[in-house]
Amino acid sequence: MIEIKNLQKVYDVKRRQSFFHMTREKVVAVKDISMRIDKGQIVGLLGINGAGKTTTIKMLTTLIEPTNGTYSFDGIDAIANPDLVKRQINMIAGGERMIYWRLTAYENLWYYGQLYGIDNTLLKKRIEKLLQIVGLEDKADLPVETYSKGMKQRLQIARGLINDPKYIFLDEPTIGLDAVVTQDLHKEIRSLAKDQGKGILLTSHYLSEVEELCDYIYLVNKGELVIEGTKKELTDYVFARNRYVFSVRGMDKKIVCRLRDNLRMIDPESEVLFEDGSCTIISKAELSSAIAEFALKEKLVINELHKQEPSLEQAVIKLSKNLERKDTQIA
Amino acid sequence: MKYFIKVVLAESYKQHRNYFNNKMIYVSLFLWPLLSFLASYYSYKAFDLEESAISYINSGNILVFLLIGYMAMSFFRSVVQSAWRFSSERQSGTLEYIYLSPASRLAVLMGNALSSVFESSVVMLVFGILMIFYNRESLHANVVGLVVVMPIYVIMALLWGVFINACFLYSRDTDFLFTILEEPMEIFSGVKVPVMIFPGWAKLLSCIFPLTYALEALRQVTLNNSDLGTIKITVLISILIIVVLLAATLITIHIVEKHVRKTGNIILF
Repeated sequence: MIEIKNLQKVYDVKRRQSFFHMTREKVVAVKDISMRIDKGQIVGLLGINGAGKTTTIKMLTTLIEPTNGTYSFDGIDAIANPDLVKRQINMIAGGERMIYWRLTAYENLWYYGQLYGIDNTLLKKRIEKLLQIVGLEDKADLPVETYSKGMKQRLQIARGLINDPKYIFLDEPTIGLDAVVTQDLHKEIRSLAKDQGKGILLTSHYLSEVEELCDYIYLVNKGELVIEGTKKELTDYVFARNRYVFSVRGMDKKIVCRLRDNLRMIDPESEVLFEDGSCTIISKAELSSAIAEFALKEKLVINELHKQEPSLEQAVIKLSKNLERKDTQIA
Repeated sequence: MKYFIKVVLAESYKQHRNYFNNKMIYVSLFLWPLLSFLASYYSYKAFDLEESAISYINSGNILVFLLIGYMAMSFFRSVVQSAWRFSSERQSGTLEYIYLSPASRLAVLMGNALSSVFESSVVMLVFGILMIFYNRESLHANVVGLVVVMPIYVIMALLWGVFINACFLYSRDTDFLFTILEEPMEIFSGVKVPVMIFPGWAKLLSCIFPLTYALEALRQVTLNNSDLGTIKITVLISILIIVVLLAATLITIHIVEKHVRKTGNIILF
């Protein structure tokens, strides 16, 4: 298990005032982040407004040393012993950099395998298996520069698994990829966690990706943890009220008015919004049966009636707006 | 140790595939030193070398004198260039993954220097050896001395490369080292003109380049039939330089790693 507590990173940044004059100032990239990643779990790290996601990942991968806080890696103090951690982790970043374009896929994997001191026989087998998993076995001997973006990204995945890591850090792994390749990668990421028991931390700008893959989500803003929980917990927290979509044949303002009066008897604060021949009903109360009874009583033919589950994206956007509003009020 | 060697070899192979794909690069790496060598050789033609202040230089062996200088220079120059090229790893993001791995940083840098030392200078080396063989009558070599001096010189070149590589890793703004170290090394190490005839201030500058000692020892054993006793001071200084370079490299690697972990500049390019 990976557990970080109150991790902080403060950079000492030089600012040039004039040609001969330089001043130093402290820039807080990560103020206070605590999180936990268990084996077999996919954890999402979402950020708003320069949240410090990348710095957090770099600290977890031991590339950057935290200024304060603790980092326990399967019981090892990872800040004091980064070398013990390096063997058991790897990172996969999105984009086309970080691989050698003039080398073939096989040579890239072989090189990184050597950096981990993997036995040559085992390495050969592992490379073949990984190339097969990412579907590059037929192109293994071609220079990477001849690959498409998706193929390069698949090679990145194989590279990130070359040392059979216990924990994998995925930093925007599907950035710029088309839907088909993204779906394949999602399948692979799920399999790594669920079938192979690897602990995965995922950052992504695609909230639907986080929603689809992650078991648990941390939302950070300006270097601080804002909220954490499962997707359900997060959306429930942000959307305390239920949303229903309701439409009937021949729906008009009169029906909407009668519906509003009817529902306000149950929840006086309920809202009924009418737009494009359909109603959106917002209420703290559970109104599904009340709406259905109203339609029966009025002898209306129901076209649509369902409770709308808010998406993670909607939750994050709403939360982001709330945070912006809060910041403006403070300012 | 096995792991260390694996990393050295892997890094050498990677650099070979990365930078020496096109055979023309060997020609380009040879052409410039060759032209420079020819320019120096014909410059000497204007002088009466029989009256030379240096006992072991005469009109018969000036070609070998210069060839040794240029062959050795191509070794040392190639490692400085390798360090400069290594900084592109920062731009391509691959440096981050090297640092993410548990591989010995010394082994990685050594692999890079090793690949460059041999690949960048191989054509000049072959050319030099053939030319020296053709002019072998002007050699006055001490074989035992040569056998001892050669490995010392190769190790020194390698460690110089590793050290410069480590310095280049400190930040993205260390490219100025290339300008400081490349041309002055050629001028002050005695590649074209023996250090002995330099003025005091230039002699002082020449002391900082390991190539100075390597060249002096190589020329003494090949042109002056000097035995180990005669060049023992130069050999001892060379061994001392090797020890100092190794220590400086290890310290620099440690400082660089600490610095990049503190500043996060490994991801800046």
